[in-house]
Amino acid sequence: MSTMTHRLRRLRQHLLLCSCLLLIAGFSASVHSEDDQGSHRPSDFGLAGFEWSGFARAVAGYLESDGSSFNGYRDNIRVNQQSLLALQPSYHVSDQLSLTGQFVAHSSDDRDSGTEWLYLNYQPSDAWQLRAGKLRMPFFSYSDSIDVGFSYPWITAPVQVYNNYLFSTFHGASASYRRAGLNYALDIEGYYGYFDGDIFAAGSRVDVDAEVKDLRGIVVKLRSHNIGLRLSYHQGENETDLPELQPLQQGLQQAGFNNLANDLDSKGTIRVSQAALSYDGLTSFYKAEWVKTRTEFSLTPEFTGYYFTAGLHIGSWTPHLTYASSSYGRVRSDTALQPVLADPQNPLFPIAAGYYQIFDAIPDGSMDSYTLGLRWDFQFNMAFKAELTWLNETAPRSGFIEPPSSGLFGEDFGNRKAEATLYQLGWEWIF
Amino acid sequence: MRLFLPCLLLLSMPIASTASAEGLKVVANTERNIQLSREQVRNLYMGATLGYGLKPVALPASNRHRSMFNTRVIGLAEARIQSYWAQMRFTGRLRPPTIRLPGRPSRRRRLSASLVSVARSPDCVVPNRLTMLYQAD
Repeated sequence: MSTMTHRLRRLRQHLLLCSCLLLIAGFSASVHSEDDQGSHRPSDFGLAGFEWSGFARAVAGYLESDGSSFNGYRDNIRVNQQSLLALQPSYHVSDQLSLTGQFVAHSSDDRDSGTEWLYLNYQPSDAWQLRAGKLRMPFFSYSDSIDVGFSYPWITAPVQVYNNYLFSTFHGASASYRRAGLNYALDIEGYYGYFDGDIFAAGSRVDVDAEVKDLRGIVVKLRSHNIGLRLSYHQGENETDLPELQPLQQGLQQAGFNNLANDLDSKGTIRVSQAALSYDGLTSFYKAEWVKTRTEFSLTPEFTGYYFTAGLHIGSWTPHLTYASSSYGRVRSDTALQPVLADPQNPLFPIAAGYYQIFDAIPDGSMDSYTLGLRWDFQFNMAFKAELTWLNETAPRSGFIEPPSSGLFGEDFGNRKAEATLYQLGWEWIF
Repeated sequence: MRLFLPCLLLLSMPIASTASAEGLKVVANTERNIQLSREQVRNLYMGATLGYGLKPVALPASNRHRSMFNTRVIGLAEARIQSYWAQMRFTGRLRPPTIRLPGRPSRRRRLSASLVSVARSPDCVVPNRLTMLYQAD
């Protein structure tokens, strides 16, 4: 009953936010703006200091599989997984100081609609930019614009990199410095803050209240001619409790297996490293990106993901191909309880069974994917996309393809290598 | 406001009737003697800071001279430029160059109207009060 009430409340929240944003978006479409890169500036409406812009996407997908699901898609057509509408108002107090918000209405139940970011921006000079408030996490090349489908060629950015980041926003401050020389442009960004909210694993929301403190990172972007390089490093102290695991942890401690109990403690340092190299030319583009996440949590000690993509620009058409891959570092369980597991009469058997069941269920496999896509920019601010992605687990339990009725700690991951094909159509709009 | 800043950079209009004879000039209303390389102009139009206080002004996306500028100076397709600016805008990092509609300067942009007309002069001569930063033949 409470679940139904919760869903109805969420539905009302989505509908209300969507209605407000649609009204504003409709107003946007009806008013001619001189700025064909979208933003509606103060002079357009006579609202001193105020400007706004936004983006929307409608995505339909169908998964051809044996009943498994992937990224919320199943073997029926779904349009409510990645579709969204967003509004970004800004108020300019002066040339240097502004306040910016971004409000997003998501169609997916996995994402909360509402304020995605809200920050104060201070630009003392062309080179420096300081921001404070609720900001997007700049983990990877597109992670801070992942909702803006217009900003990248795919409908679904390679999940092995972009669906595995833990959270998308943080509270804190960031400082950026930009400089260009004779043959290069450099952009350095550093940030510090904390995160408190929902976390994601393999694209699905994990039902825990996550807390990451002392969150900090640095992003370096270097561009010369048509070649771009992005390197980043991020670190935070995870202080998240996993209530689902606490009874087992307590049981292990009471039985004297403190080391095993510590295996189930998710707290510790999280480190994320990223590197991306790209070539952006007039008629073609190539990009490779690699990420590695390391934690002190024995269930998810290490994750590596990467992709290579290549495409052509033929007028307003952009066909592209992408290969992506991911793998978990070896998840190792302690062998101390193995003898107990062999003896069902042992009073510690339930504890041992529970401990190994978790390690058996946790994703520790790998997956490759091949994506063939086409983007058509039929207007300067609208694009239509079509995409086909073949997903192939190279080791069972990649964490991305889920058999029916499984969850993060579900029992039905099995030992088979799953495969599926995702067909998607998408429409992207910025205004 | 940025348009009242002393330095305003404009993409000049080509003058000849045939594509092969068309040239591009990038000028600024600054008295400083500045010469930029193609890469610097590209960086400037992609949001980088050169340290001269220059503010780029671009033509609308549908303008064919903008396409020439994209091809010969920026080196990117229009669709890629639009997606780049979408990312910059919606991550709060950069704002795209101000757009100038040919022949329709807005009230706030009248300060630059004379500069716009210079760009359309038949022989593409840059007046004394403007500085030519870059020329692509």
